[in-house]
Amino acid sequence: MTFSPLLHAGAGPLDSPLSHAGAGPLDSPLSHAGAGPLDSPLFHAGAGPLEARLWSALAEIDDPEMPVNLVDLGLIYGVTVESGRACVRLTFTAMGCPATEMLMSDIRERLLAEPGIEEVRLDVVWDPPWTSARLTADGREALRAWGLSV
Amino acid sequence: MESQNSATFEGLLKRGELIESASEMTPDYLRELKHTLIVSGDTELISAPAYYLAARKAPSVNAFMTAIAIIQDELAHAHIAYHILEELGESQEALIFKRDPKAFRYPYAFDVPLESWTELVVANAMYDQAGFCLLGDIHEHGSYGPWKRGLVKVMAEENFHLRNGRNWSKRISQAGGAAKEELQRAVDWMFPLTVEWFGLPDNLKQHSAQLNYRLKGLTNDQLRQQWLSTVVPFMESIGIRVPAHKEGDGYVLDYPFPCTFHADEKRWDFKDPCSWDAVLKRWRARGPRNAEMVALFQESFAKFQVRA
Repeated sequence: MTFSPLLHAGAGPLDSPLSHAGAGPLDSPLSHAGAGPLDSPLFHAGAGPLEARLWSALAEIDDPEMPVNLVDLGLIYGVTVESGRACVRLTFTAMGCPATEMLMSDIRERLLAEPGIEEVRLDVVWDPPWTSARLTADGREALRAWGLSV
Repeated sequence: MESQNSATFEGLLKRGELIESASEMTPDYLRELKHTLIVSGDTELISAPAYYLAARKAPSVNAFMTAIAIIQDELAHAHIAYHILEELGESQEALIFKRDPKAFRYPYAFDVPLESWTELVVANAMYDQAGFCLLGDIHEHGSYGPWKRGLVKVMAEENFHLRNGRNWSKRISQAGGAAKEELQRAVDWMFPLTVEWFGLPDNLKQHSAQLNYRLKGLTNDQLRQQWLSTVVPFMESIGIRVPAHKEGDGYVLDYPFPCTFHADEKRWDFKDPCSWDAVLKRWRARGPRNAEMVALFQESFAKFQVRA
């Protein structure tokens, strides 16, 4: 699967990667973007169940300071798997994020615990940059409930 | 008038309501509240230089950033306590910059230097867990509204410190060999220091104004048990020995409590039990790095004062 630039292109109401497609119009960061093949497995026609499991696994990892998981925070740009090797394309909220190693180590450990995953590659990217527009509806709600205005 | 105020105050406290301003307090409550805030502010403040000395040994740029972010959090948490103290009539400047090092009221543990990255992450896993238990209790049960509300984010931030401590402890343990041995040595001296952090056991502490005033909700022993119930299973899960085990509903220490600590060697002598009087004497004398730690943030203050 190739990565597509998430923030280009078209419309189409999409859901948060975890919210099982079809669930209505949303403000997932992905949905702001255009059409074109997204590489969240749940949207992608050809996505296998393994990628879907990895998205769910990533959603078990919380941000270290805010009550929101990495997927709902919008840090994960894409997940692919090929021959037991998972590749996660991700970003951080800031280049000075003091938790990058902590999160990468948590991601690696969590994904390696999934059956069928023998290797994890993390591809940190800064373009497109993270903004609060990347929060999913659930992420936005969690942060609002916690007192952040997003 | 005084007794009327006092009756109103007792009523508020009994009904579980929050105290919101100094005008509602009795002098005794105000004194206890200030004392509790000073201990909390001093503890957060002193952790900054203590952690900084070890942060310089960070094994990577991002690990250094993590440590610096933790230190920044601790300073902010200290500021919450000192800011409230200022609102209650104390001078922040006098409290932070003009007190004698020995007058600071933080736990003795911070007077024993953290000298490596390993010791820093064990401090994050154990000292910050103690802070989490103590502040969590105040956040949950505290009777002073402004402080209780100020602690909402503190708890989330302490979580970040704990996670750093646990992630790294686990990584170091998994590395095995000399790295794991160093981790075990750090836990060996830091575990009993954190156990004593919670203070005298309940059977020796006859009366607690802090409990009566709901400045805390749990007793020393209850807080110590809460700490043990998180730290013991965690350390065991990563293959690190700790001198305590579970028995029935609680945790039991496998060494005489209290016993003698040789600060310069960072070594406990489990074969040499001592009295609580001896522990209190050690605490009052402060530890090896007290003056140095306090000097780290007091030193430059005087230089930048405009002289009249």
